Order: sequence, then structure tokens, then C-alpha cells
Amino acid sequence: MLAYVLRRTAYGFVTLIGVLLLLFVLFFLYASPHEMARRAVGEKAPPEVLEQWIVNHGYDKPKLWNPEAPLDTLLVEHFRRALTFDFGRSDADGTPITQRLREGMGPSLALAVPSFVFGLLFSVALALFVAYFRETYIDRMGVILCVLTMSISTLLYIIGGQFLIGKLLRWFPISGFDASPSVIARFLMLPVLVSLADGLGGSVRFYRTVFIEEGGRDYVRTARAKGCGDLRVMTHHVLRNSLIPILTRVVVAIPFLFTGALLLESFFGIPGLGSLTVDAINGNDFATLRAMVFIGALLFIGAQIATDVSYTLVDPRVRFE
Amino acid sequence: MGKGSSVVRFAAVALGLALLAACTNNPYPDADEELKILYRPLGEPPRTLDPAVSYNAAEHQITGIVYATLLDYHYLARPYRLIPGLAREVPHARTLGGGRVAYRFQVREGALYQNDPAFSLAGGGALTREVVAGDVAFQLMRIADPAIASPVVATFAKIEGFREFSDRLTALREGDPGFASQSIQAQYAAAGGIAGVKAAGRYELEIVLSEPYPQLLYWFTMPFTAAVPWEAVEYWDGEAGRAFFKDHPVGAGPFFVTRFDRQSRIVLDKNPNFYGLRHPEWRAPAAVYPSEGEPEDAPLGRLDPAYVGRPLPFLDRVEFPIEKEDIPTFNKFLQGYYDASGILQESFDKMVHEGALSEEMARDGMQLEKSVDPDVYYIGFNMDDPVVGSAAGEKGRKLRQAMSLVVDSTEFSRIFNNGRGVPAQSPLPPGIFGYEADYANPYRRVDLARAQRLLAEAGYAGGTDPKTGKPLRLSFDLGDTSTRGRVRFQFFVNAWSRLGLDVEIAATNYNQFQEKVRKNAYQIFMWGWIADYPDPENFLFLLWGPLAQSKSHGPNTANFANPRYDELFLRMKVAENGEARLALIREMRAILERERPWIELFHRENYTLFHGWVRNVKPAGLSLPTARYVDIDPGLRSRRRAEWNRPVLWPAFALAAGTLALVIPGVVTFLRERQ
Repeated sequence: MLAYVLRRTAYGFVTLIGVLLLLFVLFFLYASPHEMARRAVGEKAPPEVLEQWIVNHGYDKPKLWNPEAPLDTLLVEHFRRALTFDFGRSDADGTPITQRLREGMGPSLALAVPSFVFGLLFSVALALFVAYFRETYIDRMGVILCVLTMSISTLLYIIGGQFLIGKLLRWFPISGFDASPSVIARFLMLPVLVSLADGLGGSVRFYRTVFIEEGGRDYVRTARAKGCGDLRVMTHHVLRNSLIPILTRVVVAIPFLFTGALLLESFFGIPGLGSLTVDAINGNDFATLRAMVFIGALLFIGAQIATDVSYTLVDPRVRFE
Repeated sequence: MGKGSSVVRFAAVALGLALLAACTNNPYPDADEELKILYRPLGEPPRTLDPAVSYNAAEHQITGIVYATLLDYHYLARPYRLIPGLAREVPHARTLGGGRVAYRFQVREGALYQNDPAFSLAGGGALTREVVAGDVAFQLMRIADPAIASPVVATFAKIEGFREFSDRLTALREGDPGFASQSIQAQYAAAGGIAGVKAAGRYELEIVLSEPYPQLLYWFTMPFTAAVPWEAVEYWDGEAGRAFFKDHPVGAGPFFVTRFDRQSRIVLDKNPNFYGLRHPEWRAPAAVYPSEGEPEDAPLGRLDPAYVGRPLPFLDRVEFPIEKEDIPTFNKFLQGYYDASGILQESFDKMVHEGALSEEMARDGMQLEKSVDPDVYYIGFNMDDPVVGSAAGEKGRKLRQAMSLVVDSTEFSRIFNNGRGVPAQSPLPPGIFGYEADYANPYRRVDLARAQRLLAEAGYAGGTDPKTGKPLRLSFDLGDTSTRGRVRFQFFVNAWSRLGLDVEIAATNYNQFQEKVRKNAYQIFMWGWIADYPDPENFLFLLWGPLAQSKSHGPNTANFANPRYDELFLRMKVAENGEARLALIREMRAILERERPWIELFHRENYTLFHGWVRNVKPAGLSLPTARYVDIDPGLRSRRRAEWNRPVLWPAFALAAGTLALVIPGVVTFLRERQ
């Protein structure tokens, strides 16, 4: 197992280097520091101030090759920073990026964890429910509803949710965030509900298919023949044997809990990492954007390895090769 | 019952309870309801609150009330008038030898900074200290400091010895790598200070300029030149858990920052140390509510005797929640959770009918305030261009005149801006000295026949280029590739096509456009300018020859150069507002009218909605921090919010009942069949 994990980690590392190279091409070779400088110091700033900003932020170094000091190039600096997790300072306002990541992690998790946990519980429960009633009108209605809800874009859920629940029904604040324990729930309710509504259709349909396929297997018939109750069959046998596809879907989603939901956070004014990324895009804050992309890639690769490892834990038949 | 279903049941119950507990749309803690809090959403988090760097209207809303400046603007008077702030009076220019000019400020004795741990640096466990003239001198040195990268260095370079100080500082830092690790005060002292900034004693500050620049005084109303304590810059260094100075402003203004969550909210409380509150007996003009204004101010309730002469500020707190999207912002305004708002384009017709507030909105006690921004948007011709520029002589002039005669700014504002915008006749917007409402530029009305005639006289009859026999091809160079931008630019292209001209939109990203401008490879462009201060010089300099982009990389992007205009500009720049100055402006305007380096389009018009509980609102086109003058009636606000935001719960029950009614028969039938 150790050899397998090591091998996968090595592959992951190679992928990560590829991501870093791609980031370098996009952010250093393609993007112009003048644009970042103009955005950071203002439209009216004279050229000498722009130049000064570029020097202050280290973008004046040679990009690929510096004959005087081969290690003093943007390429080396880029790799050094990423691999040591020293992301430097934001291009937009000079704040240390690690501080921003620390600040943004809490609100992102506050939104993502309940969305994820409730989303998983509800979708598995609903999928079990419709799978149990397969080929009845409940199942057909469920599938139609799933397809319908899948066809609606996230943005519509957000704006519609804000309009319906925030504006017309006035249940929760339309947007905003306050981490104090007495009020945090009222700010998270609407985005969590929107996130549930947005994700539920796809998940329920997927899990339903898995459960139905699993429900038709021989061991299920055997269990029934032995007098096992329907509920026990569904929750103990079918659910347990469907864990591999569920895990594949779930573990891969975990990195996104940390990187935050871009649209959701931005529209609901939740100061998380998704919102930070949107700001970085809007504000030409390439240093922050690079850090976010790198962390996203790192977590994703980590999650892929974790998924493979978790297969052996839920299904002893799976072996590392 | 299996384990799985008990988990589901628990989750459902937990969610249901949480739903009920959180069922209110009020985004604020209940305790805040009774306080006088003004809520002003910001579209993006502030980048920096360092007054030497911040150059953005939203950030100035914060820095402008945290920092105290030597001068201020009169809140109600228009055109804008300077009044003393921290200074005892507005100084007059004193002419020195060799064209030099000096201004002497007397700083009020006894004004204090807000309480802040930074002041313990001076020893003795002090929480605050007195504002002294040296603090403004210190701030000017910060602007000169290249490490700060202040965007306004060029303006202050007119101060004697400003560049030299900057050069000395750079040389010292480069000469000794350890130099930069010294305290900032020590570094500035070693560089010898700025020769033209002299703090004589604790309360006197003299600024010597190498050339006359009366507009300098306007800069002393802006946070750039505010009194900044060196202790704060030194202390708030981002080390050992301390914030950075740019996130922790320390000033002597009417409010101070008590909470800084960059991504979610910034909260400012009333500063009990503010000189207006500590010394109401001073009757400092910038710290008491004004007793005079424009004729319309009294009927609009801006000279309410309940406020006139009272010490400022009135509010307990100003909150700046970060609200990135327009739709939620506007909806929260309608629910009463924000006090003021612009109008969403989509909701414009619902809110405004024929320029006035709709009946429905007026019934809710809302007020609509309109203001014209001190800006100008224009289409410019590159005067260095052989076809449209001055090299083409009379031919080029007539072509520009013809093109100007077919652009309908009113129609443009109607289509793209709900009719908001004052059609521009010259570079000067309303509210700026030299603007004359009855002046109508003869080339800024639509006259197709005259335009065609002029075009024929220019040698392009019917828009045809005699060299090619095809429509004259021109390039409209733009730094915006968005669809929204393209539709707008097409409006102008369509107008010119009525003359038979073939104008091609050459849209690139902003950076590539800047590159084109740098290389002088552009023909026709569109741009805007927002004034820094309310003086005609701040507009007319955009066409002053020596500032041409192609010569000095200046802001004169049209590369317009006219010896007479240039000469008039120099005289106008130093003249006092009055008949003589107006005459100069009229002559300059006439040159622009004839030469047409610009097609003036419009001055933006702002429609702002306020709720009835907000008092003393006067929209200012300039980015003036007005929170110190505004008041709130929290009782009225509280009642309105309660009235407007009663939750409607029945749909939740209806949905639950409907779902059950739909599912239960199926379940029952299924189970019965299975039995």
C-alpha cells in the first residue's frame, strides 16, 4: 500500500509541476505587470509610479534567465514561493496572502460544511427513497424533478432564492455575513438552502441509479429470500455496497469546500475564499489568484489519492497494484 | 427503524429548528436598532486606507472621515468653497522671488488624534497626542517616498525640494542596505526633509512652491495631505499580530475605525477626541453644521434650525458592509437595511417617472437626489494623425466638425443610461467655475445637412475618400472588448455612417490600448475624466500642449497643441475666479469649439435614493465624505423596517403539506401491494 501511495504521490507531484508551469506561462509571460500596477495604484497614476510599483512587487526581475544571478528570476521565485507555501503579498493591496487565506477559510467552511453534509444526507436519503419506490409515480416524479432542477443554472437559484426567500417571503437576509454565533445562522440559511437546491437534483439522480443497479443484484435477492426487511436491505446492504461510487463523488468534492464557492460567496457577501478569488480576478490580483489556483490543484490531487485509498477501506476486494 | 433513517430524521429536525430560529431577514444585531448608524455598502473591499496611496472614491468615504485635513469644502455652498479644517483659516498665496509662491497654515492648538495603542511608542503609556504641523509635513514626505508609490507625486512635485528629497532617500536606501530598517522618522530625518515644507514651531506650516499653483489648496482638503501621526505608521507594521497601517488608519477626524473585516464590513464609531466634539467653543467651520447654503437648501430641509450651528458629527456609527453585487444591494435598500442607493438600470422605470420619484416610492417616504458629477466623457481625435489631426489643416478640422455634428449625446444617454447625463458642450461640467448653462456649442447639436456640407468642403463628399474612391476609413481605438462596450461604441459608428464614413471599431484590452496610446498609434478614442478638485484648470489642462501624450506622456491624449490656447491656459490657471478668468475661459472654449479636438459627450448624472429617515443629505459630485453632516432618525427607521419585513411563513407550510399529500398515497399503495 505504501508503495502505491508513494507512486501516486509522485504522479501527483509531476502534475503539480505542470500546473505551476502553466501558471507561470499565464501569469508571467502572458499578463503584463503594467496592467496590475495600473489597477493597484489607480488610473491617474503617472508612469513613474507604475514603474515603482512594479519594482516594489518584484515584477521587474528577468523572467526566465538572469546571467548575473541564475536563481534570481521570476520562474525560480514562482516555484520557490509555491513549493514553500510562502505566497507573498497580494498584488492589489499588499496584504500577506497566507493571512487572507486564514481569514477566508472560516467563512468558506461555515458555508461549505453544512451545504456538503446536509446535501449528502438529503440526497442519499431521497435517492434511497425514490429507488425504493422505483417504477412508481413517486420514482418518475422524482426523476422528472431531478432533471428539472439540474437544468436550472446556479445563478438563477441564487437570484431566485434571494428574490423569493429574501425579498418576497423575508425569511432570511438577502446577503451578508457576521461570524458572531448569535447571528451567523440567519446569514447561512439562504445560501445553504440555495446550495442544496442547486446540487440536490444531480446527486439524487446519480445515487438513485447506483442504488437501483445495486438493488437488482443477487445478494439483494438472497437477503430478501432470507427474510430481510426492505428498510434493512436498503440501508444495510444496498447503501453499503454503493459506497464506492458515493465516495468517488464525495471525496472529489472536498477540495471545493476549502476553495469556496465562487458565485455563492460573491452574491451572498460571504467573505470566504471563493469571494477572495472573485476579487482577485476582478482586481488583477494575480499573486492571490496564483495561490488560489495552486492550492485548488494541490487539494484536488490530494483528494484523488485519498479517494483511491478510501476504496480499500470500504471494499476489501479492492487491492492496490 | 435503521440507523440511516434516524440520522436523516435528526438532520431534518435540526434544519427545521435552525430555520425557525433564524427566521428574520434583518442582517444586523438587534441591539443596533436604536443607534444612529449610517449603512453605506461598498462594492468592493478597500485596497488601502493609507491616505498617501488611496485614490478611490469608495476608500475616500472612509479615509475622509477618519483623517482630519487642514482645509475642507463648505457642505452646502456651490460652486464649492474652501473652509478651514484643522487650519485656523484658508491661507493666501505669498509671492516670493523667482516666481516662487508660499502658503502658511496655522494649525489649531489642542486638536487630538483618536485613541490608539500606537501612541504608547512615544512613551508614558499615552493613548493619544496633539496634532502638530509636523504631522502634515511627515505625510508630505510619505507622498515623496518612492517606497510608498503614491499616485499623486506629480502634483506635489511643485513643492520646492520635493524631488530632491525623494532622490536623497532613494540614494540613502541604495547606499546602505541597513538604512531601510531604521524607523521611518529617522530615515526621513537623515534625508533632510523637503526644503519647501517648513514646520515652524508646533503649529505653523509653510509650503513653498517653485511655481504658482493656486489649485494646491484643494489638495489640502483631501486625505493625501491629512495629519498623520508617525507613531501609527511605525507601530502598525503587520508584525507580531499587529495590523498594517493601511488597514488600521489613525487620524484626528470625526470617526475612527473600530472593526476592520476587509471582506465583510468596516465599522467606524464617533471619535470622542474629534476637535468638533472636544472643543465646540471653537466653532470650527468644518466641525459645526453650516448656517447658510444655496437658495434651494432651506426648502429642502438642509438648513433645519434643529441642526444649524450644532457640533458635528451627529451619527454614532458609520458601517460599510461589503456588498459586491448590485441586485442584493438594491433589494436590501428597499427593505430599509441600507440608507441610500443608486438605482438599478432594470428598476429605473419603477422608481423614477419623468425625472421624479414614482408615487409608490414617494409614499414610502423615499427621497430622490440628483447630482451632476464633476466629470466629462468625450471622443477625442489624435491631433498627430495625418487624416483627422492638425497636419490635415482645414481639411482635418472640417472632418472633425462634421463628425461632431452627427453625434447625439442626448440620444446616447437615453438609450444607454435611462436618460441620465447632461449633454456636454465644453470640457467644463456644471458646478465648476466657467460652466455656463446657456452656452450651446454650435458643433454639439445634431445637424446632418451642415455636417454633410462640411464634409464635402473637407474633400470627402458623401464620406468618400477621393484617393480610394471608397468611404473614408477611420479607426475608433478603444480599450474595452466587452459586449456592453461594443454596443455603445457602435452607436457612434452608426452616427458617422450617416455621413458615409467607414469607421472601424478597433477594440483591444485596456492594456493593449494603453500600449497603442504610448506608441501614438491611434486615431479616434473615447475617454472620460473625473475631477480631483472643483477648478476649471483640472479640466482645461487635458488639452494643454505641453501635456500632450506624444510629447510628455501627459494626460492630453488628443495631443492637442494650440499656441493661443496654451498661453490662455497659463493665465487662466493662476487667475482668481472672476470676470477676467471667465473671459479667458470663454476664449479657450471658443478655440476648442472651432478646432474640435474632442467631441464632448456628457457629464454623468447621479440619481440617488434616500430613505425618509436620513437627514441633511446634499449630494456632492466630488467624492466628498459627507457622513459627518448626515443624521438618522432611528425610531422611524425601526418602525419602517418592522412594517416592511414581516416574514411570510404560510408558503413553507403549504409546500410541506403539498409534498406530503402527493407522496403519502403512493407510499401507502406501494406498501399495500407489497403486503
